[in-house]
Amino acid sequence: MHRSPKWSPLAALAVTMALVFAACGGTPATVAPTTAPTAAPTVAPVSAEPFTTMTYPEDGSSACAIPDYVGQIGLIKTIDARTVEFSLCKPDAAFLSKIAFTSLAIQDADYLKDTGGGGEALVRNPNGTGPYKLKSWTSGSDIVLETNPDYWGDPPRTPNAIIRWSSEAAQRLVELTSGNVDGIDNPGANDFEAIKANPELALFPRTALNVFYLGMNNTKPYWKNEKIRQAIAIGIDRQRIVDTFYPPGSSVASHFTPCDIPGGCTGEAWYEFDPLKAKELLAAGMAEEGITSISTKLHLRDVVRGYLPTPIDVATDIQDQLKQNLDITATIDVQDPTTYLAAAGRGELDGIFLLGWGADYPDVTNFLDVFFGIGADKGFGTKWDDITGPLAEGGAVADPAARAALYTTANNAVKQHVPMVPIAHGGSGTAYRADVEGAHSSALGNEGLFAMKAGDRDQIVWLQNGEPGGLYCADVTDGESLRVCEQIAEGLYSYEIGGTATQPGLAEKCEANADSTVWTCTLREGVKFHNGATLDANDVLVTYAVQWDAAHPLHVGQEGLFEYWSYLFAGYLNPPAS
Amino acid sequence: MTRFIIRRLILSIPVLIGIVFVVFALARIIPGDPCIAALGERANEQSCAEYAARHGLDKAIMPGIFRVDGQMEIRPAEVPATLVDNQFVLYLQDLAEGDFGRSLKFGLPVTDLLIQRLPTTVELTLYALTFAIVAGISLGLISAYRRNSIADVVTMLIANIGVSTPVFVLGLVLAYFFAVTLNGTPFELPPSGRLPPGVQVPALATVWGLEGLGGPPRAIIDFLSNIFTFNAIVRADWGLLGDVVRHMILPALALGTIPLAIIARMTRSSLLDELGLDYIRTARAKGLRERTVVLRHGFRNALLPVVTVIGLQLGGLFGGAVLTETIFNLAGVGRAVTEAIGSRDYAVIQGFTLVIAIGFVLINLLVDLSYAVLDPRVRLR
Repeated sequence: MHRSPKWSPLAALAVTMALVFAACGGTPATVAPTTAPTAAPTVAPVSAEPFTTMTYPEDGSSACAIPDYVGQIGLIKTIDARTVEFSLCKPDAAFLSKIAFTSLAIQDADYLKDTGGGGEALVRNPNGTGPYKLKSWTSGSDIVLETNPDYWGDPPRTPNAIIRWSSEAAQRLVELTSGNVDGIDNPGANDFEAIKANPELALFPRTALNVFYLGMNNTKPYWKNEKIRQAIAIGIDRQRIVDTFYPPGSSVASHFTPCDIPGGCTGEAWYEFDPLKAKELLAAGMAEEGITSISTKLHLRDVVRGYLPTPIDVATDIQDQLKQNLDITATIDVQDPTTYLAAAGRGELDGIFLLGWGADYPDVTNFLDVFFGIGADKGFGTKWDDITGPLAEGGAVADPAARAALYTTANNAVKQHVPMVPIAHGGSGTAYRADVEGAHSSALGNEGLFAMKAGDRDQIVWLQNGEPGGLYCADVTDGESLRVCEQIAEGLYSYEIGGTATQPGLAEKCEANADSTVWTCTLREGVKFHNGATLDANDVLVTYAVQWDAAHPLHVGQEGLFEYWSYLFAGYLNPPAS
Repeated sequence: MTRFIIRRLILSIPVLIGIVFVVFALARIIPGDPCIAALGERANEQSCAEYAARHGLDKAIMPGIFRVDGQMEIRPAEVPATLVDNQFVLYLQDLAEGDFGRSLKFGLPVTDLLIQRLPTTVELTLYALTFAIVAGISLGLISAYRRNSIADVVTMLIANIGVSTPVFVLGLVLAYFFAVTLNGTPFELPPSGRLPPGVQVPALATVWGLEGLGGPPRAIIDFLSNIFTFNAIVRADWGLLGDVVRHMILPALALGTIPLAIIARMTRSSLLDELGLDYIRTARAKGLRERTVVLRHGFRNALLPVVTVIGLQLGGLFGGAVLTETIFNLAGVGRAVTEAIGSRDYAVIQGFTLVIAIGFVLINLLVDLSYAVLDPRVRLR
């Protein structure tokens, strides 16, 4: 009887392994294996050279004079090693709020040059000045941060921070309940009560800085009549929508701007739901227009956002409400998500459109000016002078009290003209072990782990929804990346822990001239990057210039988009021809 | 035997080419746009056009086939111009050079991601398979040997429950019970991950002083290094081994329960068939001990269908690993593919699926080879 040689299974196994490894090994392994520490930024040489001032643009001319330039930054120059000056093309009272945003965390100019301004070398090996520095990043598993021993401020309250991720809310809660992690982002909507009831856990609801609204274009049939728009505003039961479709932590919008933003909720609150009054207004409006019925569309894109968690369901409910409360027939029109925003912005949507907005930076201008200011797109049609006027003034005044008065006027005018109906501010939350001191949730989603003490443990473990895409903060847009950036990098200013008010960061102060067009920032002394380099004003200039100038040789980044720059300062220098 | 292996490997090439084609096409048929997945709220016509150009997604998918505004568009007139200059041909060219491409989301070569993720799945699968085989065959043996006894009823009841319980239900229940309910007891087990937070595993290349090594040898060492059980044993780090085993118990239980149940049932029925045959009666008549009759005669002959089932289940384990890795937060191939589908990370979907497919093909080959070992009547030609 023939028997197969005993080595044959072993040979097959060897072939198996060889083929799989061959598949894996086609290109040289360029990255350390899973648990190898991420390469630390190289130690910067100590420089004894005297400080050389710089300007950008390098010829010293202001970009504001360039035809078709739409950006807000005109010129950046360094006065001395600790002083940098920003000249703006127009007054900007929100400047401090903008420079506090995580994407403007200051980079070491030499490190940017050494890494070529992007790629893996920079994206996975960040070199900040923050209280934590990166120890390792194990792709798919975790990011380990350790105390920055040279930190200029208070050291982190817990020596090490570990950031992990899981897309499953149920799994995140099991991890928290078991004590495997100290804090989690976004507990499941159905888990809020269970967390509240557990004495070992603490829940921190979070109203996000966003708004969901129903837009109407005042150049289109029906919506050109203010009474009809007001009828829509009064005839929609917004509380029902929030109660039915939104997670805990969400709220009905009293104003377009979320109240967590300083000065966002000045002026009269939005209309109460009153179907009878709505019908009266609608009838009056229709009589003025000479029409007897309204048949329209509800435009939307089927894309889930924090401000609109279930687009189709919400649209269907609004469709029902329009019919029941106002006898308006609306057809749901789901549009292509890639073209929807542009179509809305060009004023091409005839019906009621469902849209929303999430803050780029926590200032009223990022809500009101973007949508109702003189530079707003055509989404709502023709602009109203009694809205654009106060907004223009408010954006140029630094005094909070004066700004509040102007935004009160603007908000009241928005309520009267009803270019849109603000429905909700989508919310979420965070949860922690009860023994975590300093636990908080941040409306911006940038919880500061360095400000928390995880009981008597020497590490705080944070579980978020997903893995960061990259850690070069200037060229990321996802909240998971920006939160990690917040632990390891700092801007000239920062937001207060858990809040949206600004406070000095790497700058001791930034002061504006009388009309808020020139801002002069004085840097702290003795701030060191994680690689040992000392912060100076040219680091600030290069950090900004790299993002600002699309033709800068270091304008490389991860995707090369540097998107937040355009949201913060409107436009790039030397933008691509497209 | 060698000819058999070579022939099977050659025959598998068309299968793999077919898989490459199907996966490539399916990945692009999925509704959604990688640009929107990557840029989210900020995605607009211009930024998406730039994104597509940067990643080569603006080219034809295949000759004359374009994707416009999320819809497939066939342009016969452009077939000649795009015969070579299309995404599929470029992908095949890269593949021929052993390059799986670069992840759209992470910007890392897919090969590097594979070296990081595949070991997790391999380790999980081996733990689950070991559990399923050992426990499944044992239960099947007991059940067949004690046919119609209480033990038989109980083991088959366990098998039925196991086979009908979805992985995600079992996983969450196990995680909750062992991590939360038994929290603070000696039976507490971690609900996720491969290691306790913050524990670092030294890379074998570093330990062995081979940091300068590159290419496939380095890839193999890194691959092995990331199989933590192997890493711990090689370095005699028993503390780490304990941590690894503790973290693998629950995922392996969740993943291995269904195969266990199937193996147990198959073992029972196959062994019962064998125990009723004449040669068993002859063996008993010869006065052999019952244990010898069952284990050396009956069981060995009953193994052939069981091995077939094990081979099939191994394939199923890869599929089940998607859920298990998600529930237990393990950074393996399954979770990577799931996330890649969500973010329309084409290169990762294609590369990982191809490696899984290669695994399937090779497992089937191994099963075929094992027949010859188990049954001398089987000839491999």
